[in-house]
Amino acid sequence: MAHDGSGRAGRTVIDHSRRRVLAASGLAVAGSVGLAGCLGDDPGDPFDDYGPQAAALESTAVSWDDLGDLEGELTIYSGRSRDQIDPLFEMIEDEYPDFTLSIDHDGNEDQLNSLREEGENSPADIFYTQSSGALAALKSDGLARELPEDIIGAVDDDKSDPDGRWTGASGRVRAIMYDTDEFDGEDLPDDIFAYAEDEQFRDIISTRPNSGTFRSFITAMIEMEGKDETRGWISDMVNQQNATLYSSGSQQAEEVAYGDQDIGLGNQYYAGRILNEDPDATLDVAFTSDDPGCLFNVSGVAILEASDRPNLAAEFTRHILAAEGQEFFVDVNGEYPVVDGVDYVGDLPTVDEINPPSFDLNALGDLEPASDLLREEGMTV
Amino acid sequence: MTSDDADAASVGLLLLSGAIAALVVSPLLWLVLRASDVEAARAASLMTSADTVEILTNSVGLMATVTIASILIGVPLAFLTVRTDLPYRRFWTIVAALPLVVPSYIGAFAFVSAFGPRGELSSLLGVGLPEVYGFYGAALIITLYTYPYVFLTTRAALLSMDSSLVDAARTLNSGRFEAFRRVTLPQIRPAIAAGALLVALYAISDFGTPAFMQVRVFTSAIYWEYGAFNVEYAALLSLQLIAVTAIVIAIEAGVGHDDDASAGGADGARLRLGAWKWPAMGAFAGIGFVTLVVPVAIFGLWFFQGTGGEVASLEFELEYVVNSVTLAALAALVASALAIPVGYMAARSDSLSARLFERMTYVGFAVPGIVIGLALVFFGSNYLPWVYRTVPLLVFAYVVRFLPQAVGSTRTSVLQVDERLDEAARTLNAGRVETFRRITLPLIAPGVIAGGVLVFLTTMKELPATLMLQPIGYDTLVTIIWAAHESVYYRYAALPALILIVISGLSMIVLLRQEKYNVS
Repeated sequence: MAHDGSGRAGRTVIDHSRRRVLAASGLAVAGSVGLAGCLGDDPGDPFDDYGPQAAALESTAVSWDDLGDLEGELTIYSGRSRDQIDPLFEMIEDEYPDFTLSIDHDGNEDQLNSLREEGENSPADIFYTQSSGALAALKSDGLARELPEDIIGAVDDDKSDPDGRWTGASGRVRAIMYDTDEFDGEDLPDDIFAYAEDEQFRDIISTRPNSGTFRSFITAMIEMEGKDETRGWISDMVNQQNATLYSSGSQQAEEVAYGDQDIGLGNQYYAGRILNEDPDATLDVAFTSDDPGCLFNVSGVAILEASDRPNLAAEFTRHILAAEGQEFFVDVNGEYPVVDGVDYVGDLPTVDEINPPSFDLNALGDLEPASDLLREEGMTV
Repeated sequence: MTSDDADAASVGLLLLSGAIAALVVSPLLWLVLRASDVEAARAASLMTSADTVEILTNSVGLMATVTIASILIGVPLAFLTVRTDLPYRRFWTIVAALPLVVPSYIGAFAFVSAFGPRGELSSLLGVGLPEVYGFYGAALIITLYTYPYVFLTTRAALLSMDSSLVDAARTLNSGRFEAFRRVTLPQIRPAIAAGALLVALYAISDFGTPAFMQVRVFTSAIYWEYGAFNVEYAALLSLQLIAVTAIVIAIEAGVGHDDDASAGGADGARLRLGAWKWPAMGAFAGIGFVTLVVPVAIFGLWFFQGTGGEVASLEFELEYVVNSVTLAALAALVASALAIPVGYMAARSDSLSARLFERMTYVGFAVPGIVIGLALVFFGSNYLPWVYRTVPLLVFAYVVRFLPQAVGSTRTSVLQVDERLDEAARTLNAGRVETFRRITLPLIAPGVIAGGVLVFLTTMKELPATLMLQPIGYDTLVTIIWAAHESVYYRYAALPALILIVISGLSMIVLLRQEKYNVS
């Protein structure tokens, strides 16, 4: 994982031993699924097949009516906030009376760290995260199970793992939040480097370096622009622009809406929520063009190697990627669908209008180079 | 009873106290395990980087500032409520103790909302207020919400101290200040030190406030590495943090050495404040306004102002209260029970190991909740799957973090029991256990309960370990506050936050009633 290639010997050894155990437990899955029924409180997997229970996913969205009925119980570790995801889970539970979800809510990074410590003993079947970086990291630790063929085929490679260990479920884009009293969105630069260099943003710009999507953004910048350029951007933000560093995304968005900050580099949906609560807030979002400043990231799903209900988990994942699931993200969260055939209807510009860079999201799994740069340049909170 | 039996009992008790200490520090083995994954050269460069030096300086600076400021606030307030004719003393005592029930991250948020550059107060007054962020802002907020540790311990010591000594000093023509410095201070010093230690360890392990106020300290660096999935580095930093706290714990052991603090109990003449009663009451009122009225007003504002979409899963349910109270009560019970042998041995034995075991229980209090949480995720899921993500393991996490609050208060109360009472009971042929049960336990019960209450109200506030180890789907007041705040649906945070403060406030009144003398 170390960027200088020296690696961390201890870690590598751990990974190998983990994989061995995982391989062994993989072989045992068939047996344990059968056994689970006798073990009392574990409801076991109601399905015998990892493949589709009825219709398979297609490259264009299929309906819940065509999919298999869900029954049994799944445990989900969610790194997404409740307001964004619980309504979808409730919708699915309402549709299938014999189906129950146990949801564990925690921060995205906390969930990944917990899953890593739990290894093959995790009680979770599914990891549902707001950032593909966490999914890529889960995959590189050997904790994510390969998804069924039809799921892999349904979502484009730039919104899922080409090796099929995780899939995006909805898309979100990095944005520039701005105070509409101070700036006109039309006049804002569409180049992320301008925000670190242009004097007019000095002392009034902020970012939130401790968020997963911010680290993804820096990782993408290193990939696309090189390490030196990225170091320059960070250093300019810290030293020249005197950027305010927040530890809370909501606090940052509020400072742009009501406080001392006029520009905030962050996730669009924080601004969306404030406007939802207070339509008069002087806040809007703008996007850069074809650079890491408008990185298209996905929230997504992985089925854990540790799951003893992988078939049910797979069928559940199909429901998220089916038309009703995808429409939910568009309607309720203002996010972008990852499957064709669902129209985007929100207030935001469509993905075509935004022009995000094309990028392999698996590169976001290794945050160490970004983390090192940020630490060295003092952009940490 | 022969002396051999007594020795055997002592050894047994010492072993028990050692076992408890070992149990509560055992999760920290995980830190060593993870930290050893970092290459030595890499570890050395990380630990000695300019960045780490800055973090160390900030952390130690923050801890020292908060501790000193807490003593400067806590000791005079305690003195005013015990030794003077301050009007409405019972009321002011409660006001001065209550800030401890407000989680400091909520305090920080409310404080910034109210006093921030364009906060509620500034828009009310129509003028900009000075910058509240940064080192001093963080130091101020942590102080305001932790000085009650010093206030409570000092107050208890003043109440139990023989004040006729002060009167004696005064008759010998010592001035008031002189009498305080030469007579009172030496007697209450161990109590101040005990409170100050809790303040110091809290200050260095607090994450929410420094992060919110944008100060880079150990905890924020630990969270940072943790968020970048560098748990190994987070572990390394945590070990460094523990090294710093070990020094602090050792310093306190030097300052706070215990003389026999047993009480004379004569209630000497109270100091007449005269016209000074106005500024004195003003000080209590000012602190109460900032630490209690402001956050409650801000929550009230959230509660009534909220508009926009409904979020069903954030809607308040009575279950959150039941869950929070159940967890906090269990943690308080277990911690009090474990604190009895540890605190008893620390007070009654001269042995180094008794003292060491007691000190060991303090380490968990200085370690951020995520560290304890993740350590128990590892041990629980891999070695104890039958308790993993169940209430008992979560309660254990609270005990690891908050045990010292119970130990400290139990130890102090044991010190106040005259050993001659034990001897008398034994000459009447009572066994060691019976003596303890019939003589010592009733006498130390107020201290044990007070410690339990402190554990109760800190458990009510605890967030990170709760989020990691809670039984899946088992929500508490703080997890809902966290979820609502995280998603900017503040109005859903208001009610749980107010309930949290009310319940903790009631438990604080229980604590004040445990004191030897009534507040009046």
